[in-house]
Amino acid sequence: MRNRLALPLVALLVLAACTANNTTTGGSSAAAFDPSSVSGTVVFSGWQASKDEGVALQAALDGFKAKYPKITVNYQPIATDYATAMAAKFSAHQPPDLFYVDSSVAPDWISQGLLYPLDDWASSRNFDTSQFFPGYLDAFKGQDGKIYGFPKDGNALGMAYNKDMLTAAGITAPPTTWDELVADAPKLTSGSQKAFCLSSTLDRELAFIYQNGGALLSADKKSAAIDSAASKQAITWYLDLFKNGWGDTPKNLGDDWCGTSLGKKKVAIIFEGGWLDPFMKSTYPGVNYAWAPLPKGKQAGNLGFTVSYSIGKDSANKDAAWVLLTYLTGPEGMKLWTQGGVANPSRKDVPAPAGKEVLVAGAADAHPWSFIPGFSKINDAFNNAMTAALEAKSDDPTKIVNDTKTAIDQALNS
Amino acid sequence: MAGGTATAASPRRSLGQDRRQEALAGYGLIAIPMILFLVFQIGSIFFAIYISLWKWGPLGPTGLNPFRGLRNYETILGDPIFWKAVTNTLYYTVIWVPLTMALGLFLAVIVNQKIRGQTFFRAAFYFPAIASSAAITTLFIFIMGPDGLFNGLRQAAGLNPLFQLLGFGPTYNWLGESRTAMNSIIILNAWTTSGTFMLFYLASLQSISHEVYEAAAIDGASAWQTFWKVTFPLLRPGHYFVATVAVIGGLQLFDQAIFAGGQGGEPNNSLTTIVLFLFRSAISDFNFGYAAAVGIILLVVIMAATLIQRRLFGQAPSW
Amino acid sequence: MTAPAPVTRPATPVAVGPATGGKTSAASEPVGDTGARGRRILAYAVLIAYALIMFVPFAWTVVTSFKTVPDSVRLTFIPDPISFQGWDEALNGLSPGLIQLFFNSAIVAGVVTLTNVIFGSMAGYAFARLRFPGREFLFILVLATLMIPDQLRLVPVYQILVLLGLVNSNPTNYLGVVIVLAISATSIFLIRQYFLTIPRDLEEAAKIDGAGFFTTFWRVMLPLATPALAAVAILQFQGTWNGFFWPLVILQTPGHWTLPLGLFQFIGFHKTDWPPLMAVVVMATLPIVILYVFFQRYFVEGIAASGVKG
Repeated sequence: MRNRLALPLVALLVLAACTANNTTTGGSSAAAFDPSSVSGTVVFSGWQASKDEGVALQAALDGFKAKYPKITVNYQPIATDYATAMAAKFSAHQPPDLFYVDSSVAPDWISQGLLYPLDDWASSRNFDTSQFFPGYLDAFKGQDGKIYGFPKDGNALGMAYNKDMLTAAGITAPPTTWDELVADAPKLTSGSQKAFCLSSTLDRELAFIYQNGGALLSADKKSAAIDSAASKQAITWYLDLFKNGWGDTPKNLGDDWCGTSLGKKKVAIIFEGGWLDPFMKSTYPGVNYAWAPLPKGKQAGNLGFTVSYSIGKDSANKDAAWVLLTYLTGPEGMKLWTQGGVANPSRKDVPAPAGKEVLVAGAADAHPWSFIPGFSKINDAFNNAMTAALEAKSDDPTKIVNDTKTAIDQALNS
Repeated sequence: MAGGTATAASPRRSLGQDRRQEALAGYGLIAIPMILFLVFQIGSIFFAIYISLWKWGPLGPTGLNPFRGLRNYETILGDPIFWKAVTNTLYYTVIWVPLTMALGLFLAVIVNQKIRGQTFFRAAFYFPAIASSAAITTLFIFIMGPDGLFNGLRQAAGLNPLFQLLGFGPTYNWLGESRTAMNSIIILNAWTTSGTFMLFYLASLQSISHEVYEAAAIDGASAWQTFWKVTFPLLRPGHYFVATVAVIGGLQLFDQAIFAGGQGGEPNNSLTTIVLFLFRSAISDFNFGYAAAVGIILLVVIMAATLIQRRLFGQAPSW
Repeated sequence: MTAPAPVTRPATPVAVGPATGGKTSAASEPVGDTGARGRRILAYAVLIAYALIMFVPFAWTVVTSFKTVPDSVRLTFIPDPISFQGWDEALNGLSPGLIQLFFNSAIVAGVVTLTNVIFGSMAGYAFARLRFPGREFLFILVLATLMIPDQLRLVPVYQILVLLGLVNSNPTNYLGVVIVLAISATSIFLIRQYFLTIPRDLEEAAKIDGAGFFTTFWRVMLPLATPALAAVAILQFQGTWNGFFWPLVILQTPGHWTLPLGLFQFIGFHKTDWPPLMAVVVMATLPIVILYVFFQRYFVEGIAASGVKG
């Protein structure tokens, strides 16, 4: 009895094993996916913002090679003008297998059908996405609700302050709320020194809008929310920081960005992200500064700037790319990438590099810096109107809100 | 044409055969370049015209109703940022072209005098044109920055009160303020291109015969009068050539604008040119169809400008 | 000026313009002008001042490259202290490495220069001297290509290159860049201009001797065009050496990068670290400067000789 069943049973088992090994692109098989069995080449592309980044990435790639020796990574960074080179590759249906996608353009790339959705594989291949900070992961969700990339690292905003200046003004601890910030401001403004260097752009102001309960878009991203009372209030509050003479744009201070203003000791407080540290270390090492969380408004709020690794719809080696992707954005690979301090982790289960705890904690309240297709025009509209308002020394948010709303409506309807 | 009639010394070939051989030789010699142009340049225009009628992304027509007809053009002509780009580009062209032409002519006239070190000066004036636009713009950004050489020099020279009067503080960011960004680019490009135009004008100057000047001197003309009434008009073909090349180039300003102002044409779109606007639509929004429509509009503008110049300057012998 | 035998072209542009006869190139100073001396001093003063304006920024670049970072924002012409840190970073920080970048640039620029000279001379001669139906129309078409911005051509050109299989990671990738830059309308235009100024005597003599059109071109006219060819060579080499758009889009691996691409990435790394940035600017400009200094004579003659005649 047993012998007669054995053969068909064995055949079935062999058949099941064969199907499990047959990992064709796009196919999700019922059997377990074994990444160590995948072999091939991954064409891997992105950009490099500094030499240290290259070193850290190489460390992560070396770790990958040790764990998955069957997969060869062909790293082809793009020198400059990343989007231009990628546009050409997409249009030829020959994108790299794994590549960077900046969160602000992710909606455009997703809506154009350039990226490959990862949800099915995440569930069938047991990749845990729950540990990603939502403020980073959600940036890569399409309008269909699917995920099109995993964040490789993340940056939220923090408040960098000059410790000596605060002490000199008699402030013992950095401000933690809007009111404290406003109270401290006049004490830090004296002579040619200003309390703040403030960027007149949406990518800073929006954090404060969120903190006041406002937003750029509605939660379903189908309509504008910039014209809400809460949003307007936040804009007025921000503009008042300029109007009262406590803060100024880097341009007006004579610098290219606020980091330089802090470095040259022209201001006491700036709002920037982790990218400030390597800059200060190399260019202005003598400044005694520290990080503190953003001061809270009615609620905590922050912005999450991030870049994903994504697979292209037309990529040739999707399985190998998946293995590399899950390694680099998994706890092991991300640790190798971030431990040197070039970037901050986007996962909760990867410890923050030394000195970056404040910045990493900010990710918990971060809203993704990623909205709808055509966002670049919305961004431009807001920034231009803000510059105009500042040049007129006004705190009236009306034109800013109207221009931005018009741009949002146009983008939603195009 | 000279020598067109059959000469008595070549009785072997008939005129018709001659002409045919000449035509064949002509076609043969231009074949490869023309093929390359047709495929890579003219072909691109047809492609651009085609996709300008669609909502076209990197993977082809995209969206629910990709066919747009002329609606891309309508949207462009209704976009205030496009018109800002047009204004910026026209402003740049209208100021930079005559400025650089005048500089080039001025240098050519001076270098054409019998002076020592003529070769050296000729080399010196052409020097800035050699470096790549990236290198030069980087250098320029450094010099015109708030803490740069220019601000430092004017401080050292004690000129700051004068600048303050005009509204420019001691650490004014020339490339970073919307008021002066475009003017700074104009100065940068006038500096680099004046040498090239100088060379073009030198050729024309050298072809003016000595007798003309002698005649003017005999008539008692001063140097100034000689220049304006004799030299300048005789340079008409030179003006035409330089002006045409300059306008074609000026209307396509891109490199320095994007280096100094980034994709956003900072600050406040003051450095947004038509080509930068095209680039932005293509690369930031991946809206190729829209970008192609901008390109076609620009092409029409450039052609119109070239034809107008041809009409205004009359007969252009070298075209 | 017109020799019956195959000629070697005289080195100065003397023989070119019919109007100038045997005059030397420079002197067209108005005679009989009394204020000449004062004007000449003024001319020298202006010349020297302007030459200074040309050179000072570059001198500043060189000086800054030898400074330390904090010192670089100070307006001193002497570095204090003198530091080689900028050069060190520039030489070691370029990826894939200065030698490789130079090599790649040299190959691409060299081949593109060659093709421009060859095709430019052929087409330039044909448009200047040979009669064939549609000549004027085709020439206008050639000129029209100057009016097409590269950004507009990006997508169709790239797709064609992909179709041709030239977008890859092996050496044929260079061919993709070369093909796109192989011939430029400016080269054809320049050479045509130059041939237009040569008297027809030589061609007629060759015709009488029974030479065909191609032989006339190859044996008689081309050797005469050396200044124009030199001009095209310099312009194309310089333009291709400095060009970054097509190499950026077409070259796939960093190992293939030309110098501008390596420099751009470097500039991205060192946004406001002026000393290494300035060192890199010097490195980018030096080869062309050297080339220019040596070939300047041919170059200026070439452009000047083929410019527009009055």
